[in-house]
Amino acid sequence: MEKIKNLFQTYRQAVWRTQRQWIGLVLILVVVSVMVAGLYLNVTARTALAGRSIQAIREQITENELVNADLATEYANLTSTEVMEQRARTLGFRPVESNELIFLNVQGYLPKPDFRPAAAGQNPANNPLPPEYTESLLDWFGRYLVSSPLDGAQR
Amino acid sequence: MNAKLAWRYRITQVGTALVALAILVQITRIQNSVQAQAILDDTYRYEGEWTIFYPPRGEIFDRNGKLLAGNTIVYEVAVNLQEVENPHTIALATSVHLGLDYATVYDQITNPGAGVVSLVLDDYVSPDRINETKKLMDSLENETSGLGDANRPSLAGLTFNAHLQRSYPENSLASNILGYVNRELRGYYGIEEKYNDQLAGVPVTAWVPLNPNLVEEAPEIRPSATLVLTIDRDIQSAVEQILDESIGTYGAESGTILVMDPQTGDILAMASTPRLNLNEYWNINDIFPGETPFNRAISQAYEPGSVFKILTMASALDAGVVQPGTIFVDTGIFTYGGTNIRNWDGRAWGAQDMIGCLQHSLNVCLAWVATQLGAEDFYRYMQAFGLGHKTGIDLTGEISGRLKLPGDTDWYPVELATNSFGQGVSVTPIQMVMAASAIANKGQMVYPHLLKTIVQDGQVREITAPQIVGWPISEATARTLSEMLAISLENEASDALVEGYRVAGKTGTAQIPTPYGHYDFNQTNASFIGWGPVDEPRFMVYVWLEKPSASIWGSETAAPTFSRIVQRLVVLMDIPPDSVRLQATTGP
Repeated sequence: MEKIKNLFQTYRQAVWRTQRQWIGLVLILVVVSVMVAGLYLNVTARTALAGRSIQAIREQITENELVNADLATEYANLTSTEVMEQRARTLGFRPVESNELIFLNVQGYLPKPDFRPAAAGQNPANNPLPPEYTESLLDWFGRYLVSSPLDGAQR
Repeated sequence: MNAKLAWRYRITQVGTALVALAILVQITRIQNSVQAQAILDDTYRYEGEWTIFYPPRGEIFDRNGKLLAGNTIVYEVAVNLQEVENPHTIALATSVHLGLDYATVYDQITNPGAGVVSLVLDDYVSPDRINETKKLMDSLENETSGLGDANRPSLAGLTFNAHLQRSYPENSLASNILGYVNRELRGYYGIEEKYNDQLAGVPVTAWVPLNPNLVEEAPEIRPSATLVLTIDRDIQSAVEQILDESIGTYGAESGTILVMDPQTGDILAMASTPRLNLNEYWNINDIFPGETPFNRAISQAYEPGSVFKILTMASALDAGVVQPGTIFVDTGIFTYGGTNIRNWDGRAWGAQDMIGCLQHSLNVCLAWVATQLGAEDFYRYMQAFGLGHKTGIDLTGEISGRLKLPGDTDWYPVELATNSFGQGVSVTPIQMVMAASAIANKGQMVYPHLLKTIVQDGQVREITAPQIVGWPISEATARTLSEMLAISLENEASDALVEGYRVAGKTGTAQIPTPYGHYDFNQTNASFIGWGPVDEPRFMVYVWLEKPSASIWGSETAAPTFSRIVQRLVVLMDIPPDSVRLQATTGP
């Protein structure tokens, strides 16, 4: 019994050593917690910045759309029939009479094609982003498994 | 460490642990309390907002890509009450620059009511006025920011939110066709009402978080449709100008002119009076008092008079009842159904062939022709020409006119004779144009339409191709009648003729029925329908002048108006004179 007691005594940690271990453990926990918190704060801050940036870009897009529409109308205002007629008359022009026209027969002349509005306002959903920008790692792995030929003979 | 000290340590540890536990319990309790939930709910209101995203209203172009209806930026002026520093400055600035009432604005800001965090002071404010206010705002900020005075002049809290409103660059041009959009974004009249759903698009409601951490994918808003019309802006402008001049020259009360491509049904111009500056649509009740139709071309039926004779003659020729050379001896009176039919001048014109009957517009002759055809066939043809029914043109407000038929309680046998020269039957200008398109277009009657293309997402969604809505007469009949009408104009040396271009057409002078059941001999509807070039028609023009006072006759008012329009059309449509065109076709 005494031998056993001595054995324990032999391998027993000194009190100050145990306390130091506990302090070390607590400090490690604190450091890990601070690191996790720091990482969390960093990610959160970057997310917030990205979110704010997205909000600002969206506002800019909306504003650009408004300005585009406004400019198109402004251009139409500046080239309206009334304005153009007034400018032409000021410059000394007058409407041509039918008997003043000279027609030439031009072989191979193609008439002006029908007007088609530009693809302004085209829905971005029709041009989706490639999967590299949208899929998660798991999605990519699933796609890789599906698309990769597993049978070596097919390679 | 002795046992006593260890015991104290234990007590301290347990005590600290209990305090920590109590704090945790309290934190948990507070976070899950009713009050906490109320606060959470309250903060949720400020995390974002449900927003309705309206796609910009679709644009409307003419056939050559000229913008007829677009959108322009205007501003909503609001006050964020939490940021207001000086209500007096805001009330003063908005009264000076925006024309608002000082006392009202001041009262709204200082007594906003419970729970109100923002106020809308004005909307649809032009950018010019907003810029003036913004300049004032900036100068105040620069000059007074360092004063530190609580009562310093400040426009803090005043916000300007841009949005779009409908704008019509051409003001009143083609207003009868386009219609307008009010501030509730609803289209009224014309294209704006007919295609309101396509132009307005589908609004999307989505939660827009203010917290950047909660930012979500932007809602997918499908752009509204863009419309391309068959209208040619330059032709429309010329036609409106000529119409206004003719109304002034001939002292007419109102007028309507239609220009259509008789081969496709494309409406190239549709002018009607009065017209509304669409950017000031709120004046509509002043400009269209009472029951004044917004677009006479589709919404006002009238007795067309002698222009109707072309339909009677087309029916008789097609049925083989008469030939161009058939001779009718005009005695100046024709009795049918107990009523005496007389010519416009009361004269007897003697022996006339069918060309002469059209040339001199003889009521007696055409009444005889209709009776030779018989009521059954006559009305069958009239229905085949689409009379009594709406054409289905893509505009709101079309009416069907009235074609009384045998068997109707108010139809009498004499109607057959009077209808033959356009009395007792009411039509709209668009109906007459559609019916006459069969004569100009080889017997094929085309569907008149204004929509050329719908474009959405950059893709052409719909094209209104030429549609044949009936074959009331044969190609041979159509060619024969066109030729007869061209000859009759040439023989008459009509004011409708255009040098270098062969046109076919017919005048009309219709007395106006009174509420007392007889006709007013001093007031008429003067009209003319014609097309050209005769061998390959590119345009069909219908002119209607209501109650001209300079002359009651269509030949002296509507016919010269037609000629003026054609002279502009051949320039604007690049139609060479017949001699040049035929030479180019047949070669040197």
